[in-house]
Amino acid sequence: MGTRTAYETHVSALDVIDDDDARLRSIIELGRRRQSEPFPAAWKTDANLLHGCMAKVWIVHAVEGDRHVFHGRSDALVVNGIAAIMTESFSGLTRAELLSRTLDDVRRFRLGALATERQLGMMAMLKRFQKLAATSQPEN
Amino acid sequence: MASHAEPLDVARVRDDFPFLDEMVHGRPPVYLDTAASAQKPRAVIAAIRDAYEHGYGNVHRAVHHFGHRATEAYETARNDIALFINAQSADEIVFTRNATEAINLVAASYGRSALRAGDEVVVTEMEHHANIVPWLMLRDRHGIVLRVAPVDDRGIIHIENLAALLSDRTRLVAVTHCSNVLGAVTPVRDIVRLAHDHGAVVLVDGSQAIVHQAVDVRDLDADFYVFTGHKLYGPTGVGVLFGKGNLLAAMPPYQGGGEMIERVSFDMVTFKDPPHRFEAGTPPFVQAIGLAAALRYLTAIGIGRIADHERSLLTHATAALEDIDGVRILGSAPEKAPILSFTMDGVHPLDLAVVLDRAGVAVRAGQHCAEPLMRRLGIDGAVRASIGVYTNRADIDALAAAVRRARKVLI
Repeated sequence: MGTRTAYETHVSALDVIDDDDARLRSIIELGRRRQSEPFPAAWKTDANLLHGCMAKVWIVHAVEGDRHVFHGRSDALVVNGIAAIMTESFSGLTRAELLSRTLDDVRRFRLGALATERQLGMMAMLKRFQKLAATSQPEN
Repeated sequence: MASHAEPLDVARVRDDFPFLDEMVHGRPPVYLDTAASAQKPRAVIAAIRDAYEHGYGNVHRAVHHFGHRATEAYETARNDIALFINAQSADEIVFTRNATEAINLVAASYGRSALRAGDEVVVTEMEHHANIVPWLMLRDRHGIVLRVAPVDDRGIIHIENLAALLSDRTRLVAVTHCSNVLGAVTPVRDIVRLAHDHGAVVLVDGSQAIVHQAVDVRDLDADFYVFTGHKLYGPTGVGVLFGKGNLLAAMPPYQGGGEMIERVSFDMVTFKDPPHRFEAGTPPFVQAIGLAAALRYLTAIGIGRIADHERSLLTHATAALEDIDGVRILGSAPEKAPILSFTMDGVHPLDLAVVLDRAGVAVRAGQHCAEPLMRRLGIDGAVRASIGVYTNRADIDALAAAVRRARKVLI
């Protein structure tokens, strides 16, 4: 996961759904599926929490060689689905690749129509990924 | 409260609100987020437009036609607001950006001049962050002690619990007139009497209460009363601080700049009397004119008639939501404003609000800027549906139907 392919897979999967209600249902189902997957309680720390008023999101970061890997979990299904899309899409990239990602890459998911807040949340996640990558130990 | 013979003609009221002509996701809008910000009637929009088109120039010290017109409209708005809350004088009305700034003004000006390290300020558990954070900042910078009065699960402040916190160290009590989460209306008159018996002044956050009931600051005997314009069907960017004349007169300026001074040299500066002493820089005069138009609009309909209408819808909404499996309504104070917060078992408030939005139903989800209250209630957040003058029974029915459908999607 985490290559351009994972990103394109999510973009394509969302792109073929031409109805916003169906797109929301798909995000909710993805969030529900991911909630049943393991996410260690030890990862749910304040340090990993992306602070926002409406839902909690924990983002966990690891470096594998020169690649950055992210895991995410939220207590809200919609945000959990979005966290799954974001962590899978932007994992497996180098620091330089990650830092080159912009709002345009997030817009391609076409989730802005659901609510501007969701797109802002996705940008907040991308910025967290970039900050974690930028402040992590130098790559070997 | 007395009921009014002629009920509100809500269909006619709805004609006054252009937002109802919009479609949301292909459906007519169901706007139940008035407690966050109210939609605007045409009368307010027209007043703002008129001010910009026909009477716009910077206020005070103007020697031209447009400045005179704007100044006259601005000071008339101040007078209208004084009348609306029965202040003794328009000089007791200070325009701010919002209620938050009004509280910050009191905390910074009155707080730093009249309070000493060790003096105590009392708030309640159900305050909005706007009535918590300025006092925490005053504590951290100035050394005051913050005491917190408990509320019960219904949202009731038991006066004996508040009384137990008051002492000869108490200098100020800052309390909401109506919880923005629980809708509970607080016994402000009793609280003021009790605080005054201890020599403390009282600041009342009226941001929610003034939207749903007549407010008489002299009857309440509140020392400071604050509210914001945009929740009261007025524009954003204007709030009101009422302060008793003798208190304002003794307070130093909050911010410095133009408009608030008498004389300035590099050696000294002298300040104007209140309220202008507290209005540094160009004030939000067009917004104040818009707020006055909102008050005229509400007064013409009748505050009591609006309150009756909203109370009836609150009863209907409470029954409709209580009938849905897993829904738990927060707050059941005997006197409750039309603010209905609720949770649904097994469903995150954000998920519920997002699904409701797709049904064209606008509600708010989260902690509602009341994190300590959420902690007190043992929840992370809630959905809040809030009712306004334009809300009708069909809106409430649409909410209930959408909540039922959302439950099927989310559980």
